[in-house]
Amino acid sequence: MNKFTKEMVDDYAEKLLIGLTDEENKLVLDEFEAIDKSIDLINKIPNIAEIEPMTHALDDFTYELRKDIAEPSIPIEDALRNAGKTDGREIEVPKVVD
Amino acid sequence: MDKSILELHDLLKRGKITSEELVKEALRKSHEVEQKYNAFVTICDDAKEIKVTDSLVSGIPFGVKDNYSTKDVLSTGSSNTLKNYVPFYTATVVQKLLDAGAVMVNKTALDEFGMGGTGTTCHTGPVLNPWDKTRMCAGSSAGSACAVASGVYPFALGSDTGDSIRKPAAFCGIVGYKPTYGMLSRYGLFPFASSLDHCGVLTRSVIDAAIVTDIMKGIDKNDMTSWDSSNIHLKEALTGDIKGKKLFYIKEICDITNYPNATAELKSHLKNYFHTLELLKEEGAEVEEVSIDQNLLNAIPSVYVVISCAEATSNMSNLTGIIFGPRSEEKNVFKMMKDHRTIGFSPLIKRRFVIGSYVLQKENQERYFKNAERVRRLIVDKMKELFKEYDALILPVSSGPAKKFDEDKDVIDENTNVLEEHLQIGNFGGFPSITIPNGFVNNLPVGINITGNCYDDENILNIAYTLESKMPYKGQIAKEVQ
Repeated sequence: MNKFTKEMVDDYAEKLLIGLTDEENKLVLDEFEAIDKSIDLINKIPNIAEIEPMTHALDDFTYELRKDIAEPSIPIEDALRNAGKTDGREIEVPKVVD
Repeated sequence: MDKSILELHDLLKRGKITSEELVKEALRKSHEVEQKYNAFVTICDDAKEIKVTDSLVSGIPFGVKDNYSTKDVLSTGSSNTLKNYVPFYTATVVQKLLDAGAVMVNKTALDEFGMGGTGTTCHTGPVLNPWDKTRMCAGSSAGSACAVASGVYPFALGSDTGDSIRKPAAFCGIVGYKPTYGMLSRYGLFPFASSLDHCGVLTRSVIDAAIVTDIMKGIDKNDMTSWDSSNIHLKEALTGDIKGKKLFYIKEICDITNYPNATAELKSHLKNYFHTLELLKEEGAEVEEVSIDQNLLNAIPSVYVVISCAEATSNMSNLTGIIFGPRSEEKNVFKMMKDHRTIGFSPLIKRRFVIGSYVLQKENQERYFKNAERVRRLIVDKMKELFKEYDALILPVSSGPAKKFDEDKDVIDENTNVLEEHLQIGNFGGFPSITIPNGFVNNLPVGINITGNCYDDENILNIAYTLESKMPYKGQIAKEVQ
């Protein structure tokens, strides 16, 4: 496993479209060091890999899908009203492909 | 506004007070509390009185944490990334309260998107504790806890992903309750970590928590994790009889000898905690000590951070400033989004996004994310095994009263002990969990928490109700000691 480095933190931040200051970068590494030590302990739990990961709070829950019936959707004006720039029925964005 | 829901309802029905008077008083008090403690994002000065009906909350003001969508009312999640966001729909639980005649008078400040435990990362600034302005309320439901404790109204909505209702309740000397996962619809609650997020309520008494939750609960077609709770009647379950109930506490968390450097505050807090257990025994309940693997307990904070950060990274990828939120002036679309997120997010949640992204990378998933989910199961399975024998787990909240602002920066470090973080167990398993005030340390309130098995909310609330009746803190309003 690679050690989490300052450069990796910046790389992940960039992928997340977030800019970090040096101080914020250091806070990530400090917090992660504590997590890593705890994870080391977790990895020592016997047969940990055989345990089924718990992905949700309720294990006994049965999910039922609704019937596939079309329902009225929200008015377009409502969907657009928080967008910074709009053009008719669409949200305006800068050109993505040069 | 220092009265309970039942008292206010009675006064309203008998014509001794009017809803108009209550709303005006709540608004006046909101401005006072905002000036003193910085508890709100929005005060709804145009809130209007409502006709009083047989519904217990009709005509009574209440507050809503600002991470619930409220139609035509600013809903920011206390983040600069949504500082101008006005939803076009209302969260299910809020709508149910409005339909029952309750009057929303403000939106309360929180740690940005609920991702914090201090009440200091709100885009409107830190929320001050109404008992001592040099201390925090804890978070993330800081504004709701502050407002209820200050007597703005008898109840406010909170949300709880780690302990965000139950710890602020303790630090502000009030009641905080999160029901079993899915009893309350999360539709309209801004998602933080969906597998851990719970809606809930902050009040000044257990019966008020039961009344409000009875109104809010129910299956919702807009939240596929909600379930039918029509056979659960929380208020009716408050009998005050707990003879024969069995509770347990965890030795590794409560034994003072586990804390060689214990502060005087911690010693007083634990002494008071054990005194409270005696009150339960006086009512015929049994309380036993149980030992749990220390390694499992020590893993709780990291398991929580890994899972919650991973889910949050995904949930909040839609915050770009393009569809909603203030749009950057940058011309390139990627620079536009990066500018919006860099300026908009606080350092705490930026940090958590990076950690979340790291643990989700393919090469890291097994070691971090999957193993955290595996330990989550081990902890929950252990609790469920204990709940076969016991009605509830009872533990002290935190290591004492509210922290000073310079004491806690919301960073996990090696010295963080499980005493500060154990309430996260309630989120891992979706367990019903309630904090009630159980005394004072250095003139500041402290709390005790009762957690039970899923769907056993009636039992848990009745235990809390009975214990509350043995102590003089029900309905207390914060009095500034500093």
